[in-house]
Formats: sequence, C-alpha cells, structure tokens
Amino acid sequence: MTVRTWGIIGTGPMGRGIAELVASKGFEVILVGRTPAELDRARACVDQSLAHQIEHWAITDAEKKLTLSRIHSTTELTQLADADFVIAAFVAEIEEDKELFRTLDQVCRKDVILASNTSTLSITEMASATFRPGNVIGTHFVPPMTKTRVVEIVRGLKTTDETVAKVMDLMGALDRKGVEVYESTGYVTTRLIVPLINEACATLLEGVATADAIDTAMRLGYEMARGPLEIADRIGLDTVLVMCERLWREYGEVRYRPARLLKKLVRAGHLGVETGEGFFRYDAKGHRINGGGNA
Amino acid sequence: MKVLVLNCGSSSLKYQFLNMETEQVLATGLIQRIGMEDAIFEYKVPGGKEIKDVTPILDHTTATKKMLAALVHKEYGVVADPSEIKAVGHRVVHGGEAFTGSVLINDEVKNTLRVLIDLAPLHNPANLTGILAAEAALPGTPQVGVFDTAFHQTMPRKAFLYALPYAMYKRHKVRRYGFHGTSHKYVSERVAACMGKPLSELKVITAHMGNGCSICAIDGGKSVDTSMGFTPLEGLIMGTRSGDIDPGALFYIMSREDLTVQELNSMLNKHSGMRGISGISSDSRQIEEEMEKGDERAKETFDMFEYRLRKYIGSYIAAMNGCDAIVFTGGIGENSDLLRSSVCNNLRYFGVTIDESINKPRSKKERKISGADSKIDVWVIPTNEELVIARDTRDLVESLKK
Repeated sequence: MTVRTWGIIGTGPMGRGIAELVASKGFEVILVGRTPAELDRARACVDQSLAHQIEHWAITDAEKKLTLSRIHSTTELTQLADADFVIAAFVAEIEEDKELFRTLDQVCRKDVILASNTSTLSITEMASATFRPGNVIGTHFVPPMTKTRVVEIVRGLKTTDETVAKVMDLMGALDRKGVEVYESTGYVTTRLIVPLINEACATLLEGVATADAIDTAMRLGYEMARGPLEIADRIGLDTVLVMCERLWREYGEVRYRPARLLKKLVRAGHLGVETGEGFFRYDAKGHRINGGGNA
Repeated sequence: MKVLVLNCGSSSLKYQFLNMETEQVLATGLIQRIGMEDAIFEYKVPGGKEIKDVTPILDHTTATKKMLAALVHKEYGVVADPSEIKAVGHRVVHGGEAFTGSVLINDEVKNTLRVLIDLAPLHNPANLTGILAAEAALPGTPQVGVFDTAFHQTMPRKAFLYALPYAMYKRHKVRRYGFHGTSHKYVSERVAACMGKPLSELKVITAHMGNGCSICAIDGGKSVDTSMGFTPLEGLIMGTRSGDIDPGALFYIMSREDLTVQELNSMLNKHSGMRGISGISSDSRQIEEEMEKGDERAKETFDMFEYRLRKYIGSYIAAMNGCDAIVFTGGIGENSDLLRSSVCNNLRYFGVTIDESINKPRSKKERKISGADSKIDVWVIPTNEELVIARDTRDLVESLKK
C-alpha cells in the first residue's frame, strides 16, 4: 500500500509541524484536533510558517497555497478511515494514548501503520492496546519539524521488520533520515538534549552567566545553530519539563531532575516561543527579540 | 512503429503519439494539475476529435492510464490495443556525464537518474515519476530516455570545464553540461535543410527561448558551447531563473538574509529572472504587455532579457569565429517579434538586417526573417523536441531487435 494520505492527531507545535512538513512534500493530510478553534489556530500557524518561508525565498506563493490545500482539518477521529499512515503527535499520558490507539485500531484499515511521535512513552504499551502490534511504531520528529532532517524510528517489542522498512522509506520521501532506535525513554535526541538544557538552567540559576552568554558560548563554542536555552524555548518549556520528569522517573538519575528555574518559568506561563517569552523574548513570528533576556 | 513520447513535469504530463513510419502525429495532449481533484485532461487527434475533461487525477500513473484509455478508445482512439504502442520515449532533463546519448531504460539507468536529481531538482524527479508511471501502465514495453544534456557532450573541454580546482571536476563531475539539447539539435538540422546547405559546413547559433532559456553555438553540427551549465540555472535570464550572476554576491546574500543553501537555491530558481526583476510575472507576454502600457520595470526587465541574449550571441560569434545563421525557437523565440527585432537591430555591426514584413506576422511556420542583404541568416524555427525523442526511441528499439 503506497501512502498518499497521512492522518495526524494533534494541533500543537508537533502536530501542525508534521502536518506542514508532510503536506509540503505532496502528501494529503487529515489533521485531527479537539476543537474547531484549535484547528483554525493550527492552520493559521502553518500559514504563518509558510509565509515565513516565502520571505526566505524557500517556496513560492503557489507552493504555499498548494501545501495549505492539502491539509484537511477535522475534529472526528473516524475521518482517519481514509488515512494510509497515522501519527499521534501531542503530549499525553500513557492511558490517554492507549485509549487513542484502541480507537485508531478500530477506525483505520488493517494494513495502516499507527505511529506515535512520543519521545518518552512506551510504544510497546501503546501497541498492546491494538490488534496490530506489529504495525505500531514510534516516529519521533525532532523540532523544528520543517527544518530538522532526522527522525528517530522506534521499535516496540512487536514492531515488524516490514513496518520499520516501510516507515524508513516514508521518511526518505519526506527528505528525512530515519535513525533506528530501540524503545528506551528519551531515545537519543531527547535523552542527550534534556540534561544539557537542565544544566544550562542550573548554570543560569547559579549566576555563572546570563542566558545570552550561556547560549552564545555554546553556539560559538560547539558550532550549534542555537544555544541550549533557545532550543528549550523553541521546544516549549512545558514540553521540556515533561521530558525531564519522565526521564527522571524512568532512570532515577539526578541529572534528569528538572531544574527549579524550569519549573518556575512553566508555572509562570513562560513557555518559550509559543507564549512569546521563556528564557528569551520572541515576536509573533517566532524571531528572537534581541536584548530580551528574561531570566 | 508507433511510439509514445512523454514529457513529464511535477504536476503535468505532455504526450505525443507518433507513427514513425511516416513521422505523423496520431494524437497529442496535455494533462495538467495532476494530484488535484480538478485535473485537466486534454486529448487531441490532429484534424479530428478534441477532448477536454476536468476530472480527479491523483498521480502520474492514473494520468498515464487515462491517456492510454483515450488512445485505444473505440470512438476517438487511434489504436485498437495498447500493445500497438511499441515503445515509450521520455524526455529527461539531466543525464550528467553518465549519458552521452539516448538509452534504453533499465534499473541501472533509473538508479543513476535518482543520483542525478540533485543536479536538476526542478525536473529530474518528475521525469523519473513519468518513467515509473509508464512502466506501471505499459509493463514490458521498451522505454527510452532522451537527455537534454546529450547533444552537448561534443563540447570541447575548454568550453565545458569551469575554472575551479580541477578536483571539483574529478570528484564531483562539476562541469558545463548544457540543456535543451534535443531542441538545439533539431532546429540546427532544420535550419541547414531550409538553407539548402549541409549542416557540417555551417556555423549556427540557436536560441531556445521558453520558460527556460539557453543558447548554443553549433559548429558543423556539433555543440561547441552553450549557456546553461552544470544546472539549467546558468546563462540567460529566464522566467524565474537568474541566469549568470557573480557567485560572490551569493555568499553575501546568504549571510545578509540568513539563508540556507536550499533557500538560496529556491531564490535563484523560482523567485528570480523576469519574475524577480519585474515583480509582475515570469511570463514574457505579460512583461511585453505591461511595457506597452508604459511600465518602467517591465521595460527594464525586457531590456535586461534582450541584452543578456544579445551579449551571448556576440560571444558565440567570437567563439566560432563566424556565424552563418541565428535561429530563434521556443515559446518566446517563436512568438516575440519584439525580442527578435530588438536583438537583430543591435547586431548591425555584424551585418544583420531584419525584414519586419516577415518578422512581424504571427506564424507557426519555419521562416527566414533576415533581410536579403543580411550577412547572417536569421530564422524562426518552431522546435519539435517530441519528434527528436520519437526518432531516437525508434532507432534504439529497432537496434534492440537486431
């Protein structure tokens, strides 16, 4: 079965990021959200992101229109009966995910692969809620989805080789490199970036350097496109906190224990680019406002 | 032998079906907006039935099947059975150095084409899609790839090498390849026939001015230089492509606009050229219309477009140390009398004159537009890439039987 239509569940940065990427590569997308308002907001975000790409000469007006026309919004999971590949892309607790996979198992055709974008929850556990555990897989897109060229392909206990091969091909069609990883909380990307962000928070809190100095030192020191604190702002500090807590719970290692500053910012509703403020300040287009250091 | 010729774009499929015993076109058509619910299917039998249909066509395989269904249709079809289609010829943009002529398509060829996608990102993926679609629709029918680059493989090294570290050529095959080869080849052969002289004794400059534009110096029937280079981006100003530019400016733009390599590539291929300068359109007809209304930027765009072309003509006269004929072809070359007269009126130093009574009227015929006293013949020759592709396809498939 060739994949023409992707079902994507979730309208947050993950869901709409994947939707934009997939639609821009010529696939049809059925984007499922909780409410029409959330779906409208997701569409507006994709519109804005595409407009930003036109400003950067990356695409043309016609290509933008075409990409948007491929994204079909709905609040009904049953619409996914038409999808050839389905990915759950929102932060949830495992019980919620299992419930979702149970429903998807009933809605989607038998040959359809069900994927989750989680980086911390168990694919095996989600698969156990379905009658197709061989066709359940993890595909962890690393944000920003439209730019980052790697996707972690996660095997659950029962994921078949055929499913892995199919998904690897599918990532190739998105111009993404699939990296195979075994089920393990945080895989590679999350497990390595979270302690870095966490340590950057601690460094900031201890007053060793300003947020800007920390990011500049890491950016120039290790040729990173962005420093750890801006990376955190772009992932979303609430998401980073969830990642920390799950790694902390799973491994029990102190290095994963969420830094107090991180918790404080999340409680204050400073979630990063999404809310315009995190470690740094951002304008509506997500550009960093210079000199806008917050902490 | 009946041959089907396919020219596949990312969302379009242009096709022509020919009887190669007579080189007669049996049917022709265009499928546009492939991938959409409202794709446009066109089918035409010359001097006969015309079909135009708006219908969902979601991929190239479906498009190919729909085309086949029309070709064998009881009422307006031109063959009784798809098996009468003995070969399929494909236009393929970039053949790299791997293909110096047309080839029968096999798995190895397809793999090489995949590798070559980087070199022609706008065209090669679509060409490959067309090949796969035709394979699916006509299993077992021999398929031939005819490359835009093949005709230019006769260029001497001094013309195709860039003055980069030689390792770039050795390692990555970075060199001038040139494109529109089938068109340049065809119109040069036609102009020789029209002039009643052997092509081997002529020095010809052919200007293919379409959506993409390139110009070729043809000495004795062989391409000795051409304006497109490693990719179809070099040379003349085009609809949305910049053509020649100082590479140094690109590094400056990248840092100033904070662009990635892909974004820069897109800027040069899709946002530049006539579209980029004029801000009006990539379509030269629209530029000329606005120019007539007095739009300054449109005028400037046209002037730049014409000037770049004329500079190349001058340089190719120097490259060949002479010129017997200049040929205009392609959509703009065949239809813009303004472009032709602007170019010719500024080549008087070379003794070029133009007969406006022939240049001005619209025509689809091959015609000489230079004055009787012109030292260089100037011709308009409508291109026919499909015929060249069909001929190569026939020849290759026939040699297969021997």
